[in-house]
Amino acid sequence: MRLSHITKRFGANVAVDDVSLDFAPGEIVGLVGENGAGKTTLMSIAAGELVADDGTIEDRVAVGVVHQHFLLVSEFTIAENLALSFRAADAPVGAEDGEESPAGSRPPAVSAGDSSPRFAPPGLRRLGMTSPATVRRNAEEIIRESGIELRDVNRRVADLSVGEKAKLELIKAIARHPRVLILDEPTSVLAPTEARELFDVMRRLAAAGTTVIFISHKIPEVLEVATRIVVMRRGRIVVDGGTMSATELAEAMVQRRSDVRRSDSPVRPLVNTPRHLNSGPGSAGRTGESDLRIAGLSIHPGEIVAIIGVAGNGQSELAVSLRESLRGRVAHIPEDRARDGLVAEMTIAENIALAERRWRPRAAAERAAALIERFNIRAQSPLQRAGSLSGGNQQKVILARELERHPEIIVAAEPTRGLDIEATRFVHDELRAAAARGAAILLITSDLDEAFALGGAIHVIYRGMLSPRLTPDEAAVRAPQLMAGVG
Amino acid sequence: MRARRLLIAVAAAFSAVALLALSGLAFGHGELLSILISGSVGSTFALEGTLLKSVPLLLTGLSVAIAFRAGVWNIGGEGQFLAGALGAFLGARYGMIAALAASLIAGALWASIASALRLWRNAPEVLTTILLNFIAIHLLGYAVNGPLQEASGKYPQSDLASASLPAIGELHAGIALAIVAAIAAWFLLYRTAEGLRLRASGFNRSAAKWAGVNVDAQLVRAMAISGSMAGLAGGIELLGVTHRLFERFAAGYGYAGIAVALLAQLHPLGTIASAFFFGALTTGAGELQRTAGISSTVATFGQAIVILIMIALTRRKTA
Repeated sequence: MRLSHITKRFGANVAVDDVSLDFAPGEIVGLVGENGAGKTTLMSIAAGELVADDGTIEDRVAVGVVHQHFLLVSEFTIAENLALSFRAADAPVGAEDGEESPAGSRPPAVSAGDSSPRFAPPGLRRLGMTSPATVRRNAEEIIRESGIELRDVNRRVADLSVGEKAKLELIKAIARHPRVLILDEPTSVLAPTEARELFDVMRRLAAAGTTVIFISHKIPEVLEVATRIVVMRRGRIVVDGGTMSATELAEAMVQRRSDVRRSDSPVRPLVNTPRHLNSGPGSAGRTGESDLRIAGLSIHPGEIVAIIGVAGNGQSELAVSLRESLRGRVAHIPEDRARDGLVAEMTIAENIALAERRWRPRAAAERAAALIERFNIRAQSPLQRAGSLSGGNQQKVILARELERHPEIIVAAEPTRGLDIEATRFVHDELRAAAARGAAILLITSDLDEAFALGGAIHVIYRGMLSPRLTPDEAAVRAPQLMAGVG
Repeated sequence: MRARRLLIAVAAAFSAVALLALSGLAFGHGELLSILISGSVGSTFALEGTLLKSVPLLLTGLSVAIAFRAGVWNIGGEGQFLAGALGAFLGARYGMIAALAASLIAGALWASIASALRLWRNAPEVLTTILLNFIAIHLLGYAVNGPLQEASGKYPQSDLASASLPAIGELHAGIALAIVAAIAAWFLLYRTAEGLRLRASGFNRSAAKWAGVNVDAQLVRAMAISGSMAGLAGGIELLGVTHRLFERFAAGYGYAGIAVALLAQLHPLGTIASAFFFGALTTGAGELQRTAGISSTVATFGQAIVILIMIALTRRKTA
C-alpha cells in the first residue's frame, strides 16, 4: 500500500501536509509524534475513514483499525460483541452490492469458502436469526484463530478489565484478516505485562506478512517493538528510518518552532516571600497511568514556571487539582477551551462578569466593551454570544476575564493551543506583563517553544511526576529524555 | 432573538387551542372552542376563576423555570406544593404571615432533600424529586386521616386553617403575591450576580466551575428557591382557596408548572402570561365538563400539546 502526497485540512488548519508513505508487508511501523501532529488523521485516511483533500492511495488493501476508544457494547457478552461486529461480513454474498463505498473504507467482506465467521446455521441465517450456542461457538473459534488468549466468552464486556477489552478489540480487527493493521495508542490502557503480550501478537502478525502500524507517543515501547520508525510533526513526516536512540527520537518529536521569539524581557524571581503552589503528595486525581504526585512545586511572585511533557502525563489532573486547592486571587486558563472556557450561550459581558462580585448589566457591558478594545477582541458587541466568537477571540475573552481579577497566581494550561501566530504572541505578552506586575504564573504546555520563550524555570511532567526544577539551559539538554521517561 | 422566542410561544399556545378545537369538530362538538373561551375569560365570574387557577400555576411555573435555568431538574413541584400547604396549615395558628413563611420554608426544605442526596450520593434529582412527590402525597394522606383530621372525624380532611389571605370576594391577595414573586425571580436571575452564576451553572457547569463559580452552592440555592416557590403555591392555595387540607390537594399543579415554564421559555415574566393561558385552559375545560359533558381532561391534552410543540420548536441540539 502506498500513500502519496496526502493533504488534509480542517478549516484553516492543515492536519496532514503533503505526506507520502508506503508500507511493506511484515513491517512493524512505529508512528510517533505529539498530539495534533497528524498521526491519527493520516491513519484515518489510510483506513478510508476520512477522505484526503489531495493525494492518492495506491494498491489499497484491507485495513483494520483498533481505535483508541473502545467500540464495544458493554451490556453484551464477549460472544455477542463478536457476533455483532460480524453481522456485515456474515451477510450473504451480494447483499451489500448496492452500497459502493470508497475502496478500503471497510475491509472487504471475506471471500466465500474461507474460514469466515458464521454465526448461524444457513437456514436460520437466511431469516436473520441465530442461536446462543452458535454465537458462542463461533466466538470461541474466532478467538482461537486470532491466537490471543481471552477466556470465557459468556462474560459481559462491562465486567472485563481494560486490558481484556483491548484484547477483544484486537481480536475483532484480526478476525477480518486485514493486510494492514493500525493500532491507535493501544498500550495507553494496558499494564506492562499486557503490553508485552500485545507486542508478541504484533510480531506474530508481522511474521505472517501483515503490516502493523503502531501509533504511540511512548518512546520506549516504540523502540522496543517497531522495525521502522516514522515521526510526524505538524502534519509532516520529519523522520522515517530504522533505528534511533531514545534521545534522537524525543528531539525529533518536539523540535522547536521558529515562529516564537525567545523572551528578551527576562522575569526576575523574587527570592523573598515565596508563594508556594503546593498540592500534597497523592492529593490529586488519577492520571491514565499513575497517581499524580506533585509536591513542593513553588513559584515566586513575578516568575513564570513552565511544566512541559507529552500530553496525558497528568497535566489535566494537575490543573484540576490546582483549581480545587488554590485559594485567593487565582486565575485559571483551562486547557479545554470549548468545554471549560466560556459559557457559549451567554454574552461576552456576562462571561466576563462571572468572575466579579457584582452584576449590573449596563456597567458590565461598558466594561466588556473596554476589554474588547484593550484585548483587541474581534466582536461586534459586548452583547454578542460568546459561542459565536472564533477560537482565538474566545481565548482572548478568557484571558481578559482572568487577568482582570488582578491575580496573584495564574495557572495557564495550553493557553495558545490552536491560536495563530499573532494571537499567540498576544497571549505571551499578556502573561509576561502579568508576571511583571508580580503574578506567579504556572504555565502548563506541550509546546516546548512556549515553555522556553516564557519559562524562567522548567519542570518536566512524566507519568504524574514532576522532574526537579530546571533552568532553561538545563532543560534544553535534559527535557527530551525526561519527557520520554528515559532521563 | 427575543421576538422569535415570543413568536414560538404564541404559536405553540395557538396551535394547542386550534388542535383542541379541531378535535372538538371531529367528534361533533363544534361548540368546544366557544365554550372554552366564554368559560375562561367570557365573564367576570369566569375571569375570576381563571385568575384563581393561574396563581398556583404561576408559582409552580416559576419554581420550574428557576430550577431549569440552573440546570437542576426539579420535577418535584407536586411534593413541594404539598409540603408548603402542610407548612402553611401548621403555621396558620401563628397568623397569616407566619403561615406564608412556613409554606416557603417547608417547600424549600422538601426540595433540599433532593439536593442533599445529589451532593452526598450524586443521586439524580430528576428521580429523587419525583419520588419525594409520592412521599409527600402519602404524608398528607396520613395527616388528614390522622393527626390533622377534622375534629368531627368524618371525612379525610382537616379543619379550616386558622388564618386566611385577605380577599375581595373570591379574589385573594395571593394574586398580587404571585406577581411579586415573578418579578422578584426575574430580578434574581437577570439583575444579580448570583443569578448570573446560577444561569452560568445551568448552561455549562464545567465552564462555570473554571470561572470560579461554586456550582454545588448554586445547585443547593436553586433547588431551595425553586422549592420555596412551589411551597408558596401550596400555602396560597390553602390560605386563599381551599382553607382545608384534604387528600387530593395538589391536583397536578406541580406537574402543570413544567408546561407553564416551558411555554414561558423559562423566563419569569413570561411565566405570568403562560400561567394565565393555562389557568384559562383549565377553567374553560371545567366549563366544558359542566355544560357540554366533555371531560375536563382536555386541559391536560392542551398542556401536553404545548409541551410537545415547545420541545419540537426549541430543541435543535442533538445529544
